This record gives sequence, C-alpha cells and structure tokens, in this order.
Amino acid sequence: MSTESPIVSLKEIRKTFFRGKEPVSVLDGLSLNIAAGSFEALMGPSGSGKSTLLNLIAGLDRPTAGTAIVAGENIGKMSDGDLAKFRSRNIGFIFQAYNLMPVLTAQENVELPLLLHNLSGAERKKRAQTALRVVGLEDRSHHYPRQLSGGQEQRVAIARAIVNDPTIIVADEPTGDLDRKSADEILNLMDRLNKEFKKTILMVTHDPAAAERAAVTHKLDKGQLK
Amino acid sequence: MMNFIRISARNLLRNKMRTALTILGASVAIIAFVMLRTTLSAWSVAADYAAKDRIATRHKVSFVITVPKNYVDQIRGVPGIKSATYAIWFGGKNPKKPEQFFATMAWDVPSMLEVYNELVLPPDQKQAFLADKQGAIIGDVLARQLGLKVGDRFTLQGSIYPGDWPLNISGIYSAASKAVDRSSLFFHYSYVNDSLPPDRQDQVGWIASRIDDAGRGPAISAAIDQMFDVKDIQTATMSERAMNLSFMGMISSLLKALDVISIIILFIMLMILGNTIAMGVRERTREYGVLRAIGFQPSSIAWFVIGEAAVTGFVSGLVGLALSYPIVELGLGRALEENQGSWFPYFRIDIKTYAMGMVLAMVLALAASILPARSAFRLQVTDALRRLA
Repeated sequence: MSTESPIVSLKEIRKTFFRGKEPVSVLDGLSLNIAAGSFEALMGPSGSGKSTLLNLIAGLDRPTAGTAIVAGENIGKMSDGDLAKFRSRNIGFIFQAYNLMPVLTAQENVELPLLLHNLSGAERKKRAQTALRVVGLEDRSHHYPRQLSGGQEQRVAIARAIVNDPTIIVADEPTGDLDRKSADEILNLMDRLNKEFKKTILMVTHDPAAAERAAVTHKLDKGQLK
Repeated sequence: MMNFIRISARNLLRNKMRTALTILGASVAIIAFVMLRTTLSAWSVAADYAAKDRIATRHKVSFVITVPKNYVDQIRGVPGIKSATYAIWFGGKNPKKPEQFFATMAWDVPSMLEVYNELVLPPDQKQAFLADKQGAIIGDVLARQLGLKVGDRFTLQGSIYPGDWPLNISGIYSAASKAVDRSSLFFHYSYVNDSLPPDRQDQVGWIASRIDDAGRGPAISAAIDQMFDVKDIQTATMSERAMNLSFMGMISSLLKALDVISIIILFIMLMILGNTIAMGVRERTREYGVLRAIGFQPSSIAWFVIGEAAVTGFVSGLVGLALSYPIVELGLGRALEENQGSWFPYFRIDIKTYAMGMVLAMVLALAASILPARSAFRLQVTDALRRLA
C-alpha cells in the first residue's frame, strides 16, 4: 500500500438533503483520507451515508459544507460540466446492478467511456480489448449483456471502469447481486487491480467477506465514521 | 463505428414492437399528409399548367353570368389577340347515371380547336366533329367510364338547358398537357344556341383568347376590359391560370379545411412520437445516469434522445413516403384520374410533397424530442442511478 499523500482528502464534510422543507443531515462533519493505491471498504447500516459519501468522492454530488480534494482537485466547487470531465478522467465506476447498456456488446460497453476522449475507433477497440483481457472476457467481446452471466456482466462493468485508466475505482456493492462463487471471482479481480495495477479502490459493501479483502475498512453510522 | 446515432438506432430496436407501431403510426400520418397535399395540388394542377399565352374574359361580377356573344368579335379586334373562342357551361348529366359528375361545355368548335390546340384528336374525327352539329368529342378517360366509342349515340340530360340532347360521338380526345381534363364532353355551341328562345340566345359564359406575346397578357387584358367599361355589361379579363383559380374559389373553404386537417394530422404525429420518446427516456433514466456517471455531459444525454428521435423521424418519413407511392400513384391516383378526372385530371405526388413529407417527419420528430431531451438534460446523476430500471 502506498504511503504517499492521500488521493482522497475530505475535511469536515457535511451533506444535507431536504425532504420537502425539512433538512435531513446525512453526513455530519466527516473527515477521511484515502491513500493512493489503497483498497478500502466502507461499511455501515442502511441510511448511514455510505453511498452518499461514495457519490461525493466520485464527483457525482457536491458536499453542502467542507472540503473534498480528490486526485488533487477540489471537487466541491466544480460545475456539473467540470465534474463530468473530472469523472471521465479520474473515476471508474462499478455498480451493484452492473448497469451495462443492453443494446451494446461487451466490447462496445467497455468502449463507452473512451467516446469522451479524442481516440480513433481502432485505438478505442484496442484499449477495450485490453481491458476485457484483464477481466478474462476477451472471448466474449461480441456478446450482449443478456448473453452473459451476472458475474460476467460485472466483469464487463469492471473492464468499463478501468478502460480509461482512472485514478480511483469506486464500487457500490459490487457483489451484492452475485452468488458467493461469482462474488469471490469479482473480489479476486478487484484485488488484482489493486495489487497488480496499483489502482486505488473504494468499495461500499454490506458483505463482511468482501470487506475482508480491503486493507482498511471504515465503519459509518449516522453520517459519521466510527 | 460507434457513435451517438448508432447507439440511438440500437435503442430504437430495444422494444421492437413499440418502435414498429410508432413508426407505423407516424408513417400513416405521413401518408395522410401526402394524400391531402396531393389532393390540394391536384386541384390546382389545371391552374399551374395553364397556358401562359391564353387569357379568359368573363362577366365582371361572376363567371356564372353570361356576356353577349358579339363581344367575341370585338375582342378579336384587340391588338395582340391571335384568336378567340367562346363557350357556355352546359351542366349536362348522363341520364343513366345522374350522380356521376363530368364537365359538359358547348363551344364554338372551329375556334375552340384553334385556341385549345393541346387537345389531341385524330384528323378524321376532327373533320367529323366539325361537320356534325350534333357531334361531340369526349375525353378518353370519360369514354372508358361511359363505355362510349366513336360513332355511338349518347343523350345528355340538360339541367341549365333542360331536356334531352342527343349527341353523336365524333371523336375521342386525349391531351398534350396535364391541364386538360380528359373526362369532359364538348359539343357545338350552335346546337344549344339555336335551340334556345330568342331572348336567351347569343349569350356566352366566357371567351378564351390566344395572345401573340405571353408577356403582354396583363396589358391586353386591361385593353379588353377598358373597351367594355363603357358598356352595360363590363368584363373581367384574366390569365387562364387566374380563371382556373377563380373556378377553384368555389371550393376554397373545402381546400382550407383540407389544409387544416393536414396540420392536425401532423400534430397527431407529433404526439405519437413525443409519447414514445418520453417513454423511452423514462425507461432509460438509470442508463442515462450511468452515462452521466462515467463522464458524459448533460448535453450528450440530450443528444442521445434527439438522435433517437431523428432516427425515428427519418425512418417514419422513409416508410411513409415509400408506402405513399404505391397507394397514391398506383392506386388512389389512378382511380381518381379514371373516375373523377374532372376534379383530378392529374393526381400524382409532387416532388415537393415528397421533400416536404421527409422534412416534416424529421422536424416534427425533433420537435417531439425537445421536452424529453430537456428532462434528460436536467437529470441529476444520483437521482437517475437510484431509479429502478
């Protein structure tokens, strides 16, 4: 694990949502550092603020107060457009429900993030094939999501997450929809991405077995780290 | 090559039945639009194809009021007039099938054949027609409908000029111009005129004149009208096109109604497309959320929606126009030309109508996508990702 300056630095983060006119505090003065190249897990009961925290780090949302520095950029002050650019450069997403586009093949799904960069079709294809090779699905590149198992779909989603060579991979319950065997395969793959490719991984999970794979586990309750 | 349009096209194939029904619905709207526009243009075709070197003179108030026949000779003396002929609207019917409409006009035949030289008539039939006071010529389309051939006897039942009017079919004409109605019947003015009581004789419905220079039409028309301004009965002289349009003025309300209907049809199409696109956006909210999460800009998501609408509009336009051709050109058009030639002498889709149909299909599809694209543009990523697929 790297001991360099943190790739994620959160200070006194607050996030408040409004239910009608009533404010609901989800994150309450939370501070967190995540070192570059680490594999860390976030655990906590439902409603504890795990996903909200993950969204803030991934640049999907902005904090109500506090400072969020991710990959050297203060993302709390960015516009929607700048946040989108930040995400395309720095963040790879893995979702619980895979979220592949059903009308695109595995190869095309992996190519999607590359459409945002000025790359030739041949270059996109080459990079997507490399990513699919990393996840062990190069022979399924022309299959549609419906032709793949859940575990394979999640591996395609991981290929999509890494194809851009992101700074951080955020995973929201990546094994939540998988059986034990498939979940272990995905966790092995994430472990490999962390150790072999030095990717920083932040994973939200309810699964203690999944959390065990992480070097650090943060426990969140009522918007605060325990 | 993967791009926005390709992804949009793939999205359309996701729910094939819905897409097919949407395209079919929009195509039917395009077909209806093409049919209505073709009807409107078919009605005005006679005006559009009118001879530019022909002018028509009628009573100043309306063409249903006659003018004295002696005006013809005075018009022939106006500088620039090459020849002039005259006619009355006879309004006859086939007594065996009185509900069938076809135009029946009584002409001064020798001058008529000179002024309307686009009538195609074999020389022997022309001679027979000129020689026989009870002779008549009939358009080839009407001849087929009535089952008449040269040499047949045919009796017209008069309405404006009551009674039975036996005629000899001297010839069957065709036309060298799209403006000529091939389902009319022409016979001798003298046949009618000589049968009328003296107080109704020597009146004509309109006078048609060939002029020596099409560019001088307005000046010659003005000279004719000026000549009759001092008389009891004044005239209105106009180009043949204007004369044809004044005939159409009688059905202007109907034409306006058709115009309105064609616009309503387009609005129906707009709603069909808008509904489908909005459903697609709702169903794919989560996917749009994922695209936004991986870095696509809100405008890119809006372009996905617009791209899908554009593909739908394009395909609907193509299908609609492709189906319009056999329906209008080979089916309905032929039938109308054959059976309603007086109203629709040339019922074919104009190239402008094809272009308008295609452009409208695209424009309406894009218009229909504006609101769904706007809501896709405004999607909050975190809300979209929370949405169940």
